[in-house]
Amino acid sequence: MFPKEKRISAWKKIPESSRILIIASIIVIIFLTPNLAEGYESTWNEININSNNDYNAAIIDSNGNAWVFGDDGIIIQGEKLANWSIVDSPTIKDILTADSNENLIVAAGSDGVVIYKEILSNEWINIDIDNQTRINSVSINNFDEIVIVTDLGGIKIFKNNEWLEINSLTSENLLDITFENGRGLISGSSGLILGSEDNGLTWEIRETPEIIATSEIISIDYYKTNRAYAITSDGTILKSTQESLTTTVGYSWAVKEIESENYSTSINVNLTSLDVLSTTKILLTGQDGFVALSKDGGNIVTPQLLPEGSKNQTINDIAMETAFRGIIVGDDGKIFYTENGGEDEPVGFEIIDLSDFNEFVDFTKDNLWEGLKSTVKIVIFGILLGFFLGIILAMCKTAPTTLKQMIESDLEKTLTLFWLVIPISIFSIKQSGIGLGIFTFLSIIFISILVNHYINKNKTETEGFLGVVIPEHHRNKIIKILGLSLLIGIPISGELKVNGGAELIYSALVDFHDFKLGSNTPKLSSQLGYIFAPIGNPSAFFGLIIGIALTYLGVLFVSTDGSFSKKKIYAGKLILLISIWTIILTELFVGFELNKFDLNINNLMKFSLFLGLGFFLTRRITPELFRKKAKLNDFNISIEPWSLRPLNSMATLYTDFFRNTPLLVQFMFIHFGIQLGKHIQNIGVDFTSDLAIISSYLGPLDSLFSPMIDYINESLFGPGKRSYLSAIFALGLNSAAYQCETIRGAIAAIPSGQMEAGRSIGLTYMGTMRLIILPQAIRICIPPLGNEMVNLVLNSSLASVIAYTELTRQGKLVVAITFQIFWTWGMVMIAYFVVTWTLAILLRRLEEKTRIPGLGISGGS
Amino acid sequence: MNDEVLIVEDLEKIYSGGVHAVRGVSFKVKKGESVAIIGSSGSGKSTVLRCINRLIEPTNGIIKLNGEIINNPLADVNDIRSKIGMVFQSFELFSHLKVLENITLGLKHVRGMNKEDAEKIALEVLARVDMLDRIEAYPGNLSGGQKQRVAIARSLAMHPEVILFDEPTSALDPELIGSVLQTIRGLADEGMTMVIVTHEINFAKDVADRIIYMDKGIIAEEGPSEIIEKPKTDRLKEFLSAMDEE
Repeated sequence: MFPKEKRISAWKKIPESSRILIIASIIVIIFLTPNLAEGYESTWNEININSNNDYNAAIIDSNGNAWVFGDDGIIIQGEKLANWSIVDSPTIKDILTADSNENLIVAAGSDGVVIYKEILSNEWINIDIDNQTRINSVSINNFDEIVIVTDLGGIKIFKNNEWLEINSLTSENLLDITFENGRGLISGSSGLILGSEDNGLTWEIRETPEIIATSEIISIDYYKTNRAYAITSDGTILKSTQESLTTTVGYSWAVKEIESENYSTSINVNLTSLDVLSTTKILLTGQDGFVALSKDGGNIVTPQLLPEGSKNQTINDIAMETAFRGIIVGDDGKIFYTENGGEDEPVGFEIIDLSDFNEFVDFTKDNLWEGLKSTVKIVIFGILLGFFLGIILAMCKTAPTTLKQMIESDLEKTLTLFWLVIPISIFSIKQSGIGLGIFTFLSIIFISILVNHYINKNKTETEGFLGVVIPEHHRNKIIKILGLSLLIGIPISGELKVNGGAELIYSALVDFHDFKLGSNTPKLSSQLGYIFAPIGNPSAFFGLIIGIALTYLGVLFVSTDGSFSKKKIYAGKLILLISIWTIILTELFVGFELNKFDLNINNLMKFSLFLGLGFFLTRRITPELFRKKAKLNDFNISIEPWSLRPLNSMATLYTDFFRNTPLLVQFMFIHFGIQLGKHIQNIGVDFTSDLAIISSYLGPLDSLFSPMIDYINESLFGPGKRSYLSAIFALGLNSAAYQCETIRGAIAAIPSGQMEAGRSIGLTYMGTMRLIILPQAIRICIPPLGNEMVNLVLNSSLASVIAYTELTRQGKLVVAITFQIFWTWGMVMIAYFVVTWTLAILLRRLEEKTRIPGLGISGGS
Repeated sequence: MNDEVLIVEDLEKIYSGGVHAVRGVSFKVKKGESVAIIGSSGSGKSTVLRCINRLIEPTNGIIKLNGEIINNPLADVNDIRSKIGMVFQSFELFSHLKVLENITLGLKHVRGMNKEDAEKIALEVLARVDMLDRIEAYPGNLSGGQKQRVAIARSLAMHPEVILFDEPTSALDPELIGSVLQTIRGLADEGMTMVIVTHEINFAKDVADRIIYMDKGIIAEEGPSEIIEKPKTDRLKEFLSAMDEE
C-alpha cells in the first residue's frame, strides 16, 4: 500500500566506529578500576617452644599467666602471656583437661592423673584417683573443690582430701564439666546435659533438643550466669538463655540455626572446644585448623585464618583472658596468641578522604554495583515468575470451564482429579513434605495427559479419559457417588484419609471457637475479632475455605438429576432480607435500655445510618414489596449453581488478595511470617541433591551435569539466599496479580469472533488460546506490561526491609559508612534510572518488532 | 448410504437470558446442495447456523452430519468442527498471521500436516479464490472483499463436508460484494455443500438450490429458489417487499 519507511533510532545514526568507542569506554570505566582491600591476614601469632608434644588443655589464671598442658605430662607456663617456658611436671601421664579459679589451678588426664597447685605456691600436688581411669574434664566449684567427670557416667568430687563418688543418674560418657557461681553443667554423649545447683553434689538431667540425641556434646561453657553455650563434636551449636529474670540459665537448650555455613544446624566440622566471650560472642575450634568466631550467638559463624604453615593444625583448647587477649593450643606443640579476639585483619586499606567526590565514588561504587546486580537479579526472576503466573491466572480467569462442563462432558477427567490425583498428592505431602507433593501433583497430571493423548491418538471420537468411558446410564449414579465422597472424604490407607467437606468445616469451626475471639453479645461489631482468625490458625482457615467448596460441590453433585439446569430458592429474597434485618436490629437493640438511652447526636447518627442502610437494601433487593400485588413466587431467587467456574473463582481469590494488601507488608509476611525463602531453600536443596544422585548414575555425563547442579544449588539455594528467594517470590507473586489483570484485559479486547473462528476450524480451546488469542493479546498488552515491569523494578527497593542487600539497602549501608548522603542517594537514583530506562527502551523495541501492519493506531509505519 | 449430508431435527435454543431464539427447526441438506436461509434480524437464522457446528449448544433437537449425531456431549466437538467450514460476517481472519499462515494454521495444528504439504494445499485454495498475489500480506492490509475471500479459502482448505456462511457480505461495501459472491457462486457450481445465511435476496435466488425463510424462530416457508418470485405466505411477501424498499 505505502512504501515502508524505516524508522532510524538515534543510536543507529551514530557511526559504527563511534558506537564501538562508546561501548568500549563504558566497559573500561566499569571494569578497569582497582579493588579496595587486597585481603585478610591472621591475627594469631605462633609461640615457639622447644616441644612437639600434643597440647590438650590451656588456662589463664587470675594473675594473667597462661598454663598449657599436654601429652606426657608436659606443663608450659606463659608468664603474662609473654615469657614462655617448660616447667617441671609431677607426672608423665597425658594431661587432657585443666581449670582454674582465683585460688587454684587444676589439671587432669588419662590413667587417673589429677594435679593441682595453689596460685601463690610453685609446687604441684599429685592427687591421682587411680591408675587407669581416663578423666575427660575437670572443674573447680565455689568451695575450691575439684570435680572430675569420666566415661560411663562417673563423677567424683575431691572433698576433705578424698575422692567422693557422686550419682550421675546416667551411664553415658561425660565429656565436659563447668562451674559458674555455684551452678554446674556437665555435657556428655547421646545429647546429654546434666545440671547442678549445689556446687556439684547432686545432678539432674536437663532437656535437650531431639535433633542432637545421638551427638556427643564435646564442650559446654557459661557466660556469667545468664548465657550458656555447648557444642557437639559434629558441629552443632546449642544455646541456653534465661527463661525469665528469676530463673537460671541451663535448663532449656535450643539448637542454633547457622546461616553462613551451610543453611542447616551443623557447621560440618569436627569441633573440639568452645569459649564464650560475651553473651553473643563465641569462639570455636576444631580439627583441620578450624578457628571460628560468631558475634551473634551462633547465627553466623565466620572461620578465621591461622598463620601460614599451620593452616591444617588440629586445635584442642582455647583460653581467653579477655574477649580479645588469649591463646589456643593444638597438636604438635602449637600455641597461638591473639590480641584481636582471633578476628582476621583486613590489609591493604588506605585512609580515604570521603569528602572528595572522586575518592567517594572509588570507595562506594563496588558496593552500589553489587547492590545493582542484586536488584537486577531479583527483578529478572520476579518478572519471569510474575509473567508466567500472570498468564496462567489470566487464562484461569477467562476459562469457560463451568461445573456443568466438568461433570457433563469431562466426567472422566474430573473423577481422575478427585479420586486419583488429589488423594495421591495429599498422601505424598503427608509422607514427604509439600515440595514433593506439588511435584507429584504436577507429574501425575502431566503423565496422565500424555497417556490419554497416546491412547486416543488414532481415534476420531474422544473416548473418555485414560481409556475409561462411563456409559450414559451410569453417569448420574457416579456423579452422586462423587458428591458423597466429597462430603465425607476418601480413606487412603490406615489413619490417612482425604477429609470431606463436612469434616473440614466442622473442625475449622471448632478451632475458631476455641480462640474465644468474639465477646458474648451476638452483635456483629463485637464479633469483628473473628476476621483475624485466619492468622490464629491458617490451616483451619484454608480447611474452612476448601471445606465450603467441597460441601458446595458435594451437595450439588448428590442432588443432581442429570439436567444441570437452574435452581430456584423459594422465597430466597425474603430469607436474605430477614438475615439483613436481624443483623441490623441486633446491632441496634441488643443491650439497649430505654431508660439509659441518651438522645445525643452520636446515637441519632448511628440509628439513622443503620435504619437507612436497612431500608436502602430492602428497596434494592425486594422492589416487589412496594408493589401492590406481590405474590410469594416473586421472592424466589433463581441461581445457576452449575455455571460456577472453579478456575475463575480460585484466580479471583488470588488476585483480590494480592491487590488489596500493601507490598511492604507482603514482603515482611512472606519473609518473616511464613518464611517462604527458607522453605523454598529446603525444597530446592532436597531437589538438587536428588538431581545430583540421578546425575551420578549417568557415568560420563555426570561430569557435565554435576557442575551445573552445583552451580544452581549454590547460586539459588546456597547459604544466605533466603531473603533472595523471599524477595523474588514476594515481587513475583505480587506482580502476577497485576499482570494477570492486564493480560485478562487484553484477552477481553480480542473480538469473540476470533475464538469462534479458531474453534470452527477445529482447534481446541487451549489451542485457539495459544495460537490465536494470546499472540494478539500479548501484543496489545506490551505497553501496560512494560509499565508493570518498571513498577516492579521500583518496588524491588522494598526488598531492603527483609535484609536483602539490593541497591537501596547498599545505599543505606554506604551512607552509614561515608555520611555522604547527597552523593549516595543521587548515585542510587541514577542506577535505578539506568535500569528502568533500559527496560523501557527494550520494551519499546519489542513493541516495534512485534507490531502487525494494519492493526491498531501506532503513529508509525 | 443416503446423500443427505446434514440433518437438523426439531432444533430449539433458549438462551440463558430466557430468549427463545429458535423454536423447533427441521431441515435437510443433500450433498452438493446449497441452501440459503433468509429472514429478518432476530429471526434466529444465525443461531441455527451456529448450533450446527456447536459454537452454540442447542437446548433441544438433533443434528446429524453424515448420519452421525453430533450434538451429544460425548462427541469430539473439535473433530466435528474441522469437518464443517464456517465463514463469518466480520471475516475473523487471524490478524497477527499472514494470509498464507492463516490458511496453513488449521492444516498444521488440526490435521497435523507438515509445513510443505500445508502450504501446497493453501496455495491451491488461494488460487481458487483468486488471492495468490497477496499471500505475504497481513489481513490488516487487505480490503474487505479480499479478507472474506481469504476466510473462504481458510474453510475450504480443511476439505469440509459442508460450509456455513454467516451473512458473508453484510460487512462489505457494495462495490466489494461482487467478488465474494462470484467466489461463492463458483463453489456452488463445483458442487460444494453449503448453508448460507444472507440478506442478499438476489444472490440467494441465484446461488441457492433451496431457500428457507425463517421468522420468529421457526421456518415460515421453504422451497426451491422460485419462492422468492412467488411467495406463498404473507410473512415472506411482507419481508420481500420490505427488502425491496431498502
